[in-house]
Amino acid sequence: MDGKKIVQIAITLLFIGVVAVIFISISKKEMPVTIVKGNMEHKPLAIKLDATNDTQCKMLIRTERNSAEVVSPDGRTWFFDDPGCMVLWLQEREWADRAFLWVHTIDTGRWVDARKAWYGVTDHTAMHYGFGAREKKCEGCIDFTEMRSRMLRGETLVDPKIRKKLLGV
Amino acid sequence: MNEIILETNTAVYLLSELIVWFMLLIAFIVDIRLLTRWDYGSFDPEQYELEKRAYLVMTVIIFAFAVKAPLLPYFVFTIDELSALVPGAMCGAGVISANGYGLPLLFVKIVTTLSFVLWLTINHYDLEEGDYPWFRLKSLLFIAVFTLVSVELWLDISFFTHIDTTRPTSCCSALFGLLEGENPLPFGLDTKSLLLLFYTLYLVTVGSIAISWNSMTAISSTLFLYISYYAVVYFFGTYIYQLPTHRCPFCMMQKEYFYVGYIVWGTLLGGYFGILSSLVAETLPGVGAERVKRFSALLLTIFVAVCSAYVAYYYIENGVLL
Repeated sequence: MDGKKIVQIAITLLFIGVVAVIFISISKKEMPVTIVKGNMEHKPLAIKLDATNDTQCKMLIRTERNSAEVVSPDGRTWFFDDPGCMVLWLQEREWADRAFLWVHTIDTGRWVDARKAWYGVTDHTAMHYGFGAREKKCEGCIDFTEMRSRMLRGETLVDPKIRKKLLGV
Repeated sequence: MNEIILETNTAVYLLSELIVWFMLLIAFIVDIRLLTRWDYGSFDPEQYELEKRAYLVMTVIIFAFAVKAPLLPYFVFTIDELSALVPGAMCGAGVISANGYGLPLLFVKIVTTLSFVLWLTINHYDLEEGDYPWFRLKSLLFIAVFTLVSVELWLDISFFTHIDTTRPTSCCSALFGLLEGENPLPFGLDTKSLLLLFYTLYLVTVGSIAISWNSMTAISSTLFLYISYYAVVYFFGTYIYQLPTHRCPFCMMQKEYFYVGYIVWGTLLGGYFGILSSLVAETLPGVGAERVKRFSALLLTIFVAVCSAYVAYYYIENGVLL
């Protein structure tokens, strides 16, 4: 076998290796979802449970119950396991007022506009802030603006004083 | 008037581009006449006249390329200098994204340079033959080149006249940094796989050039160009900046980094353009472009060596990798 033939075989093997690495990487791409692009309808997307990261707290989202989504005007979508995380993350976005916000309610189990939803203050939520989203108004529930203000002021069940005041423990 | 236009570098750049375009316009008009009336077998006085004109057109195109080739790095230098005037921009990356014309302009510039190199390669072999066998091909190619140069000039003017110095733009860390946790690398690659592909594709490209396996060279060099862009921005660049979070293809062209970006991108693009033009030339009957291919392989080797040297230097100096 002449030298050229050997080099040709070596190159072929190396190139097959390149193609293999590319295919393996593509197939391994099942990394946790953090962002989805191209949601130009600005609708809530189904969350791949246990395979999607909350952008704020970085935890895997294990249930759609009380989860939240933010869709930017250009169609990028981020996911959150707690409406509180959504509020914290959103405060640093200059396009926050133009964002489409969705929460998955605990009373009707549907995606609703987060700005129109009602929030309990003593619910069990993923990050223990206590704000459970509801489609229907309930006794003691607060609206989005109030929930947002409380989140940003830190007046959540995470604060022992607030917890003591609301739950007595 | 837009203050960007009045900036010295911009004015010099746009004026040079305008002069080159005007020269090429004249060549284009003559070229159209040549294409319609060219008959090498004819002994008419008109054919002799056309051959003289063809020589003139060729000289104009070569001169235009000689001016335009340095204008590409000068364009990068100009937008880099403009970053001082555009709020938020820290380097050329911020300026070029200041409006929607910047990135298409950079892309068209690279394609135009490539098409010029193709024209020069075909012209070289056309002259070598003596009876101009590729005259029509290169004349048609020049029409495409002139169209590209015209589009480029329009984009040039649109880009520089639409830079708003009151509106903040993004700096390179916002443009090339981690996109909210999203993996920026293609095919879902991680850094190790990216480097594996980088060096393997380099070996495949150089090896296939050595044994004149053109189809493999075409595929591997194109893939190498694509992978190299990401390898430089997301790996080698961090060693040039000596900062793991600094990811930018433009900052390395600044004085602080000894203008090494011009060598990095120049050798990569130069090598790829050389390979592509030689492969196209070799599709012409009886043409061999071994020397061009070997020179291109040398450029790619310099590119890989420079990139690797930064990593090696950092490791030797600090005993760890970033």
